[in-house]
Order: sequence, then structure tokens, then C-alpha cells
Amino acid sequence: MDNHLAVSASGLIKNFGGRRVVDGVDIAVPKGAIYGVLGPNGAGKTTTLRMLLGIIEPDGGSRTLLGHDRPRDASDRVGYLPEERGLYPAMRAKEAVAFMGALRGLDLRTGRKRAVELLEAAGLGHAVDTKIRKLSKGMAQLVQLLGSVVHQPDLLVLDEPFSGLDPVNQERLEALILAERDRGATVLFSTHVMAHAERLCDRLAIIAGGKRRFEGTVADARGMLPMRAHYVPERDDPTIAQHLPADARHDEHGWSFEVPDGGVEQALSRLIGAGHGIAGLSIERPGLHDAFVRIVGAAGHTAKAATEHTA
Amino acid sequence: MSAHPISNTRRTIRQAMTIARRDFVATVFTPTFLLFLLSPLFTIGFGLVGGMGASTVASGSSEKTRIVAIVPSAQQDAMRSADARLRDAFARGDRPPLLAIEAPGTDPEAQARAAFKSRKGIDASATLFGDLTHPTILYDGQGRADARYLASLAEATLRTDPAQTKPLSTATLSSIARAAPTESGHKQAAFIAVFGIFFLALLLAGQVVGTMMEERSNKVVEVLAAAVPLEAVFFGKLLGMFGSAILFVGFWTTLVTQIGGILPPRYATAIGEIGPAVGAPMFFLLFFAYFAMAYLLLGAVFLGVGAQASTARELQMMSLPITIIQVAMFGLALKASAAPDSMLAKVVEIFPLSSPYAMAAHAANQPELWPHVAALAWQALWVAIAITVGARAFRRGVLQSGSGRLFGRRKTVDMSVS
Repeated sequence: MDNHLAVSASGLIKNFGGRRVVDGVDIAVPKGAIYGVLGPNGAGKTTTLRMLLGIIEPDGGSRTLLGHDRPRDASDRVGYLPEERGLYPAMRAKEAVAFMGALRGLDLRTGRKRAVELLEAAGLGHAVDTKIRKLSKGMAQLVQLLGSVVHQPDLLVLDEPFSGLDPVNQERLEALILAERDRGATVLFSTHVMAHAERLCDRLAIIAGGKRRFEGTVADARGMLPMRAHYVPERDDPTIAQHLPADARHDEHGWSFEVPDGGVEQALSRLIGAGHGIAGLSIERPGLHDAFVRIVGAAGHTAKAATEHTA
Repeated sequence: MSAHPISNTRRTIRQAMTIARRDFVATVFTPTFLLFLLSPLFTIGFGLVGGMGASTVASGSSEKTRIVAIVPSAQQDAMRSADARLRDAFARGDRPPLLAIEAPGTDPEAQARAAFKSRKGIDASATLFGDLTHPTILYDGQGRADARYLASLAEATLRTDPAQTKPLSTATLSSIARAAPTESGHKQAAFIAVFGIFFLALLLAGQVVGTMMEERSNKVVEVLAAAVPLEAVFFGKLLGMFGSAILFVGFWTTLVTQIGGILPPRYATAIGEIGPAVGAPMFFLLFFAYFAMAYLLLGAVFLGVGAQASTARELQMMSLPITIIQVAMFGLALKASAAPDSMLAKVVEIFPLSSPYAMAAHAANQPELWPHVAALAWQALWVAIAITVGARAFRRGVLQSGSGRLFGRRKTVDMSVS
């Protein structure tokens, strides 16, 4: 058991109705990190998180949660926001937060006190005694999120936490995640929105088709793709393509292509030699979005090829 | 975050109590609970079931009741003949208890009083002693009609000339209180116990059936399942609803106990003769204990089955068979209570779903206490089994934690970290 890991899983497998939805996923979440589990819809993210938390049992593989082989044994130190949000409609916001804390071992009196503090800090001070059914969807979601942190867990697991939130609340949630990390908690969250992962994650795993396709930092993921150059000629000329790499694509703003192993100098020399001026040139590292699309796309091809081979 | 680690059992109990508290508050502090509290007023249908059950028990107990005449040997044959004549005048269901004739001893009054003490399972409802021209007839709280019959019998025994109209016998009727409960008092207590527990358990435990569906529709189940073992979720929900059931029972018990004070003395005497074999205070305690077990057992079954339903229609379809089974258990327990020493009674006392009813009847009929300790432990075990099976079925069927087995532990997966 690695003491530096808050969560570790090895070869997790889950089948539903004869279909394998999680296929040998490994995950290692360092303590104190913000860790993202990324993947397209239906990739197996939620099932993986549910197995890690012990809500469902894996059909194969192993996992430890905060050093415990049985996730239940660590349940008081874990906070969880499920993908399907759920609160008792007749409960007041303060009581809902305190109730969720009580499920995790926090006494109700302390829970109510902290609930008021958290609700006020989250801009919901006016809704402390409001029944959940009278809150907007976004506000109720925020209440549930506060319920998952009211007992100050060591590990916070959030399943698609940003879905359904407006931009203001998304920013609040990002701040809350960072605050939890600063408090010393480990945060594990799933998403298919790359912008959040790119801004927040120290490390991430990309899951597609039930398998883990990538594990590393955001920089590692972006580094999987070559840098791209964007060239803007002084004037448009069809012959420019002859002097650029074969993958160069033209659009209304100019030409873009992957930076070759030797750099862009050779191509630039050829362009200048042929009399094409340079109005603009930029070299960019691809974003996480591009890396994600590439990784998931490649996974789709692999899966398709495997299916065809089997057939 | 917890500063001090606690044991799994304590954690589970604490979590179950958290859920129980939430469910209790959510159930009781609503306007609909008031409606529910008064719902027995609308359940007249149960009265019909009760009437049918009462007739079963009544027929069982009337077979063991006698009227007793203490008369000299010379008058015994005449009295038997008169009894045969008079008895024919009654419809079959209205006939008085069978006549038992005894020869007078040294103290006929003491003999008459002694006849009210249950002997070999036979009870006397009225006894006649003294000269037939001026006999004294003693009767218990329910034996007034039988005492009148004995008075008529005395007259008919003396009357040899049917044309003679002048009364030959003037009887003195005296009501007496029993020193010990009668066999029929036991039977009545048994019926009240069986019917009371059945009525309360079915009325109140039925509430549990929809609670897990409520969690599913609120989507709270995922939050609960992540934090709390499902067994604790189920147990907590059961306890929460049991709390509201206790409130209901407390309300109605308070109300019913006040009724005794406003009844006419004759009926109050009759009620006073309902005598359980274990004694009234212990019977009350055992009644409550068996009600608790019946509720928890039936509630656990309702909870487990209801948890599988995803729509109200499915819920209705699933709860009907349980109700039918429970009515069957009630019928069996009632039958067994009329024959406490039969094999049927033993089977019904052991079978988990009927055990609480049958054992409550057992407390009414038999004075021993040790079987109740064993029975309560046995029933508690089945409550635990029902909760466990329900929770595991929910985990498998609803949470789709696919390969978990209903019984026994899962095969251990490799927990090493690579």
C-alpha cells in the first residue's frame, strides 16, 4: 500500500448484463492532489467512481481508499457528490447539509453550525431555512455540494460537478475545489468538460470505452501532440502549399500545420526563397481538448479495429 | 473529518439512527400524519374480519364452558330430562353451555364457587345450588343468560304437571367475580392479542413499502449508499417508521384505556374477566414486544420488496401478495390460539411470519415465560435476515452491483496494489 496515495485502483473490472463497462482501469490519486477522470459520455467514469467508493463492488481488480481495502471503513473521511443530484425536497437547506454531514459522522449540532457558515460563504445565506423544493436547481446543487464537504473530508469525490451550473456557480465551484485542496483534501472529480480539468487538475486519467487511455499531468497530455504552427502569408497564393509540410491545412486565417521534428525553419526558408512573405507566424502547444479528442478518437479506432478483427 | 476512529458497528448504528431520525421527522411532522392517525375510524372493514375471528374463538371457548347444577341424586334424572326438553327450544347457535350435574357435598355454596375455578380446561359460567324451590344461582360476568336458563331449568324440573301455572321455584341470582382467569378468558385474551397485532402490524407496516422508492425518486439513494451500508439504510428506515407507528399505537392505547371507565358495570366486569395466563402486566409487555417484532418483520419484508419497485403501480402489485400472506398468517394464528396444544399451534409459533401472533396467543393461554425469550430472539433473527436479504437484493437489482451474492460473503478480490 502506497502511503502517498489517497486512492489507488488496479485492474478494476465491471460488467453490466454481460457487457464490460469498465475494463481493467488503474488509477493512482496522490494525497492532496486535484485529480480528474475525463472521458466521453458512457466511458465508464461514474461506474469507476462508484466502485472506488464501494457503492458497487467490482467484478475484478482491487482498490484502496485512504488506506482502506474496504471503502466503507473510510466513509467518514470521504465526501461525495453523485452525478444524479438528490436531496429531500421537504428539508431546509441547513438541515440538508447537516444531515449529509451526520451520515458521515458529524454531530448534528456542529453540522448545523457549519452549514450556516458554508451557505453564507457560498452566497446562500438567505436560503438557510428555505426548503429544498423552493430552491433553484443550481442552488440545490450547491447545497448538496456543501453537504459533501461539511464534515471536512480528507477525500472529496465529485461526479460531473459542473453539469447544470451557470457560469457564475461554475466559478464558485472551481474556487471551492481549490479551497478544499488548500485545506489539505484530495479532490477526485469526473468531467467531460476540458476547460475545468485544464484549469484545476494536477493529474488526470482519460477513460474511453471502459479502459484507461491516459494517465499523467495536463502538460503530459498536451505533450502527446506535436506543437502546431500557424502561418499567415502576406498574400494568398495556391503555390504556398508546395513549400509547407504535407498536413498543412488552409483556412480563412492562413495555414496551420504540425511543427516537424526539425522545426519550422526549413519551411520558412523555402517560403521566403519562393518570394512568399510572412505576415504572421505563431507556434502553439495543443490544448487538453485536442489531446482528449486525439486520445479518445484513437481509442475509438482501436476498439473498432478490435471488433472487426474479432468478427 | 473524524478525529477518533470508531468501530464499524457503532458507525453503522449511528448512521442507521441518523436515517431513522430523518424518516421519523419527515413522517410525523406533516399534516397527513394527522389524517393517518385517525384512519382507524375509517377501517370498519377490519371490524368484519374481527367479527369472523371472534366467532372462531367464541366457538372454541363455548365448547369448554358448562353450566353446573348441584342437586341431590333423586332430582338429577328429572333435571336432565328437563334440560333436554328446554334445550330443544333454542336455535343451535343460541343454546346454553352443556349442563354438568353434581351431587351436593358438605358445603354446596363452596362447591358452587369452586366450580368457577377452571378444571381440566372446563369453565363454569353459572352454577346452581340449594333447594330447587329456592335455589341460589351464581354467575360470572358473561353468564347472566346462563343463570336465567338454570332458573328456568329448576322450575322445569319441579314442574311435573304442565297444566299447573303457579311458579314452583324462585331463584336468587348472584353475580360473582372470579379469583382466577377462566379458560375462555385466556381465549379472549389470545384473540385480542392476535387480532390486535395483526391489525396494527398490517395497518402500520404497510407504510414502509414505499420508503425506498421515495429515496429513488428523490435520487437520495446514491448519497445514502455511498455513506452508509445498505443494511443500515434499511434498518434506519424501518426504525424511523416504527417510531411513527409507536406514536400511533400510543395515541390509540391511551384512548382505548379510557373507554373502560365509561362502560356500564356489566360490560366492565366482562372485560375484567379477559385474563391472560401470564398475567396482565406481563401480557401487556409481551403484546408490545410481539407487535414490535411483527411490525419489524413485516416491515422488513415490505421494505425489501418495495425497494425493487420503480413505479407506484409496481409497488401496489408487489405489496398485495404480502398482505394476502399476512392475512393467512393471521388466520392460522387464530386457529392455533383456539387449540394451544395442537401441532398446528407449534408450527405456527415457529414459522417466522406467524410467530409473533401465535406467541402472543401463547402468552394468553400458557403461563410459562421462557418460550417468549426464545421466540423473541428467533423473531429478531428473522428481522435481521429479512433486512439483509432486502438490502442485498436492492444492491444487486437496483444499484446493479452485479455479482454480489444474496447469501454469504463475496469472493474476495485481490486487494494488493500494483
